[in-house]
Parts: sequence; C-alpha cells; structure tokens
Amino acid sequence: MVHSELTRRGFLAGLGGLGAAGILAGCATGSDDSGSGAASSTLTLQSSLSDADPKAALTKVVEGYSKTKVTLNTIAIETFRAQLPTYLNSGNPPDVLTWYAGSVARDYASKGFLLDVSDLWTGSGPCAGFSPALKELSTGADGKQIFVPTSYYWWGVFYRKSAFQEWGVQPPTTWDEFIAVCKTIKSKGVAPLTMGTGSTPWVASGWFDYLNLRINGAEFHRELLAGKHSFDGPEVKKVMDHYRQLIEFIDPKGRSYSWQDAVTPLAAKKAGMYLIGAFVTTAMPSDAADDIDFFRVPIIDPSVPVAEEAPTDGFFASAKSRNTAGAKELLSYLASAPAQQQFIQLSKSSNLPTSQQVDTSSFAPLVQKGIKLLNESAAITQFFNRDSSDELQTTADTALTKFIDSPRDVNAILAEWQASAKKVLSS
Amino acid sequence: MTATRLRAVPGVVWVFLLVPAAVEIGMVFWPALNSFYLSLTKWNGLGAAQPVGLANYRELLSDDIFTGALRNTVIWAVGFGGLSVLGGLALAVALNRPRRGVGLYRSAIYLPMVFSLAVTGLFWRVQYQPDGTINTLLGAVGLESLERQWLADPDTALYAVLVAAVWRQVGYVMVLYLAGLKGADPTLDDASAVDGAGPWQRFRYVVWPQLRGVNTVVFAVTVIDSLRTFDIVWSMTQGGPYHSSELLSTYMFQQGFTFLNLGYASAIAVVIFLLALVFIITYLARATRQEVEA
Repeated sequence: MVHSELTRRGFLAGLGGLGAAGILAGCATGSDDSGSGAASSTLTLQSSLSDADPKAALTKVVEGYSKTKVTLNTIAIETFRAQLPTYLNSGNPPDVLTWYAGSVARDYASKGFLLDVSDLWTGSGPCAGFSPALKELSTGADGKQIFVPTSYYWWGVFYRKSAFQEWGVQPPTTWDEFIAVCKTIKSKGVAPLTMGTGSTPWVASGWFDYLNLRINGAEFHRELLAGKHSFDGPEVKKVMDHYRQLIEFIDPKGRSYSWQDAVTPLAAKKAGMYLIGAFVTTAMPSDAADDIDFFRVPIIDPSVPVAEEAPTDGFFASAKSRNTAGAKELLSYLASAPAQQQFIQLSKSSNLPTSQQVDTSSFAPLVQKGIKLLNESAAITQFFNRDSSDELQTTADTALTKFIDSPRDVNAILAEWQASAKKVLSS
Repeated sequence: MTATRLRAVPGVVWVFLLVPAAVEIGMVFWPALNSFYLSLTKWNGLGAAQPVGLANYRELLSDDIFTGALRNTVIWAVGFGGLSVLGGLALAVALNRPRRGVGLYRSAIYLPMVFSLAVTGLFWRVQYQPDGTINTLLGAVGLESLERQWLADPDTALYAVLVAAVWRQVGYVMVLYLAGLKGADPTLDDASAVDGAGPWQRFRYVVWPQLRGVNTVVFAVTVIDSLRTFDIVWSMTQGGPYHSSELLSTYMFQQGFTFLNLGYASAIAVVIFLLALVFIITYLARATRQEVEA
C-alpha cells in the first residue's frame, strides 16, 4: 500500500518535473535572439503566386537579388490562403510572404504575426513615395506600417470586342442598358455572364461588392464589412434585388467551375461578359488577348460617388523571422521600381505598379485604361475578404452561392448570413 | 513469482520497450489529451488559452453547420463502410477462383488505391464537370434528364464524393477479403457441396463464419478510414456548396487551421473521437458476445 503510494507520488513529481522543463524550454524559445544567424542565413519567401506566368516572373525577380540567398516556396493559392495563419503561427515561419493589404494584413498584425516595417515608409525608404491611399492600406490599427504593396489591379466587366461586334451590342453605362445588353446576348443563345463559383465561391462576392458600392456607396460598404450594419437590413436587400435580376443571365455551369475555368466560355464566345479582376488576362488564351476589353460596372444611382475595387498585392514579413534585417532588405528590393516593372512585365498581368517611378507609358492600352478608371473614381475599396477577413468571406460564400441557387429564399439567406457574420465579428 | 519473471527480462529489452513508449506518450497521447483540454478553452494559437468551460460544446449544439456535418459524417460512415465492404466482398468472392485473366482484374480494381486521395479527387472532379464524362455518357444513352452538376448541387455533392471514395476503397477491402478467403478451408466448402448445400448456403454458413478474423480488420479499417476522411472531400468540394458536403473532419480543419479557432476545433475533434469510440465499442461488444456464444 505504502509502496504504491510512494510510486504515485514519484510519478507525480516526475510529471511536475516534465512540466517545469517544458516551461523552461518555453522561456528559452521565448527569448528574442535576433542576433543569431542574422545576415548569413537563407531567407524564405513563401509565395501564393502559383499561376505559371506570375510564378515565373517572381522567380526571375528573386534571382536578381544577390544580398542574401532566397528560397522561393510557391504554394497553390487556395492552400496558401487556408494555411497562412498556420505559416505565420509556426515556430520557424517563412521570413517574407506574398499577400494582401488592408483588413486582412491588419488582422494578422493585430495578432502580432507581422513585422513592423515603418522604417521602409519614411525618409528615403523604398515605400516613402507611395500614395497616401496605399500607405493607409498598409497601416495596422496601431499606426505602424506592416505591409509593402508592390502592385494593384482593377476590376471591371471584361468582354471580347469582336464578340460584342458580332452581337451588335455596345458597352453599357447604366443599369438599364446593361440589362438590355444581357437580354440581347441571351437572345443569341449565349450566356450573357460567366462566373466560376465552384471551387472559387468568392467570385460571387464581386457582384455583391459592386452592387453595394453602386447602390449604397463605398462608406456604407466598408461599414457593413466592419459589422456596423446588418446583412439583413433594407440596404442589403436592395442590393440583392439587383443581384436577383442578374441570375437568369449567369451561365449555370459556372457553379461547377473555378474562376479560371469560367474564362474558357468567355474566350470561346459562349459567354458574353465576366465581372472579374484584371488578372483575367493571364488566363486568357493568347489569340484572344488583344481582343479583350472591359467596361466600368454600370452606374445604378448617379448620386452615389463612383467607387472601384482595386485590390492591392504585395509582401509582408513575419514578426518571428530569424533575420528581420535581411527580410526588410528583401522587401526593399521587391518594392523598388525596377523589380516592380520587371515583375509586372514578366507576369504578363495587367497589374499596376505602386511605385510612381515606374514608367507606365509602355504598358498595354488595356492597362492604361485601367489606370484611368481608378484615377476617375471617387473612392477605392479592395475586395470582400480584403476589406473584412477570410472568415467573413466564407459567410459571404455560403450566402451568395446559396442565393444564386435559390434566389427566392433571399430573406432566410440574409438572416442566416447576418447571424453567422455576427458570430465571426464578435469572436 | 512475477518479480522473478520481470527480473529475467534483460535490460536492453526494457530500453527497447520504454523508448518507443516514451515517444508514443510524448508525441501521440500527450497532444491527444491536450486537445481534450483545448476543447474547454478559447485559443487562437498565440498566448495563453482562456478556459471557457463547456461553452464550445454549447455552441456546437446551436451550430447548424456542425449538425449538418455530423449528419453527413454518419451518412458517410454508413455509406462508405457499407458500400466498400459489400463491393469488396462481392469482388473478392467473384475473383477468388483462379481463372484466366483474374490477376489482371484484381490489379485493375486495386489500382485506384495506389493513387493519393487528392489525385483521386482531381480525377473525379473532371468526370463530374458539367460537360464531363458522366454527363456525356448519360446524354449518349438518352438519360439527359439525369444530367446535373454533380458537385455543385447540394443534393448530390456528398454522394458524388462518396462514389469516388468507395471506388478507391473497394480494391483495398477486396484484397483483405481475398486474403481471408485464401485462409478458408476449401474441403469444408466441397463437403457442404456434396451434402447438397446451394452456393448461397455454402457462402453464408461455411465461408462467412471463417471470415470472422478478417471482418474485424475490415471493420476497424473502414470505420477509421471513414471518420478520418478529409482529403478527398477537400480536393473535390471543400465541403461545399454551402457546407452541404461538409464532414466533421473538414469542418474541424476549417475552424482549426483556416480560422485558428483552436478551442472550437478541438471540441469537434473530441466529438469525432467519441463517435469512433461508439462505433468500435459497439462492434467489439458484439464480436465478443458472438465469440462467447460460439
């Protein structure tokens, strides 16, 4: 009896010892030893640019960097999105990562994941000349800059010029004209709109964002995504009334497609138009590349100041990087005008540079038109997930894909959306 | 008596026993126990976890996505288990007797098992496309009315993924049963045939009882495989459209690793564990009772 008592006590003491060892180990890893291995160690650049051209472009840009050896890890974007919190949270995170400015970056910064890069934004830092709007997008809640934007792009309704000619339609500027164009295209036996909401359900938020911007304005849109308005309020219901008018024009097969798959019908003239970001040009077959054009999402209420979505891409560094000085130098290089220009041209994207020192006069006419579109707009937003969070984005995905399947249940869907959004925002 | 026997064990054996045991406890059991504790907290992976009592479990009960995922997991366990066992057993019986080309059939049926689940998912996703093989075949035989967007339709998405998973698993179960059938005594089969037993009677009363050992293995493998199913659903639908093909495992992954709600995700993990326990205990209880009766 006594014997077994002693063993148990010994066992508990052993457990306690293990626990203490664990705590001590915690202290050891907790202490900041940023000096160790600095400068000499290899930097890791974790990239979500998994499409062929942007991937090749970034590889080339990184090859041009000679100060430190850089390992480029490219991960499929949907996996990257899902795994990003885990990357940042791991014990030995990648030093520099590609991602988005705005709320998403701010959210990670508030969790303490991101390196303060304010010094790159002051004096002769590489980001010092960037526009105030970009600086605002790259600033965390505590006023420190945590992001280095290197390119941005616009959204628009993309179409093939030759197809519009064949069908005898003009790019519309008002909602009524837009619906009329849809009707004409449909009468030719072609799906007026294509939209890949299968494995990329976030695409459905494109129309939601734009309709909200056109009907309720950018200010309301930002506040809605920050939880200051209700998703089942009268303003959002009005948005959904307009969305409902589009559903009969959307290619139903898009529900099985990814956004890339949904480009195929557009290229083959089996679908008329696609509301999507300028990155669509990278998924376009080369023979259709010169035939592609876009128009501004039609105005619904002329009294609402025109707003456009201009998602901003770039890089941030992990707060737990073993080589913060090296990470900042790499960021400075990536933000420099030559690196931006090289990346944009090699990636064959229609992205716009954030550095004003990049000469854009040699860029394609489509890109010039994109720059003009953004310059003419009164307000800039990014995209649903970038203006809120990836978790709120999934509530939008659920609500909007369900709505596209059964638009009659709009009230129930919006009530459910509000409930799940509230849960996300309060957590 | 016991003490002397223990002393007879050489020291090096103790080392071989204790080192793996320590690794197992440290790397498997301790983290597993931790997830029970985590399920009672709110934790985003940074800083200290805040204890919240049973709040996560209360939230689970009112979470429609969770109840849907629970229902889907039960459908999945029954459908996946039932179909792959029935299919595997039928194929094993059919391909048990040596005849020309049987090896080719066996390898062909086993082949999908060689692919990773992610590849299987990709392969089937192409079949299920709106203009993919399945709809084209249905159209070719005049069944246009059955054509649908298999993975985008909330009524069919889960079952479409289930078919793909069973397609892969059936070869594995077949191989297990083939091994079991090889162990069955053929003279018993012949004797019962001489006694006038029909093919069904011979299978049910002569062969089946001899497969009891294999059945335990197949059952355990199937239950474990069905509850840990994740990759094929993730690669085909990611639980969509709107959570209609969500399983507990995919929902746990999303909560835990996409949203970093580690406490909530641990609560889901505990539910998965309990579910596995219920299945296994029920089966073991039944199996032991049968053995006692026999």
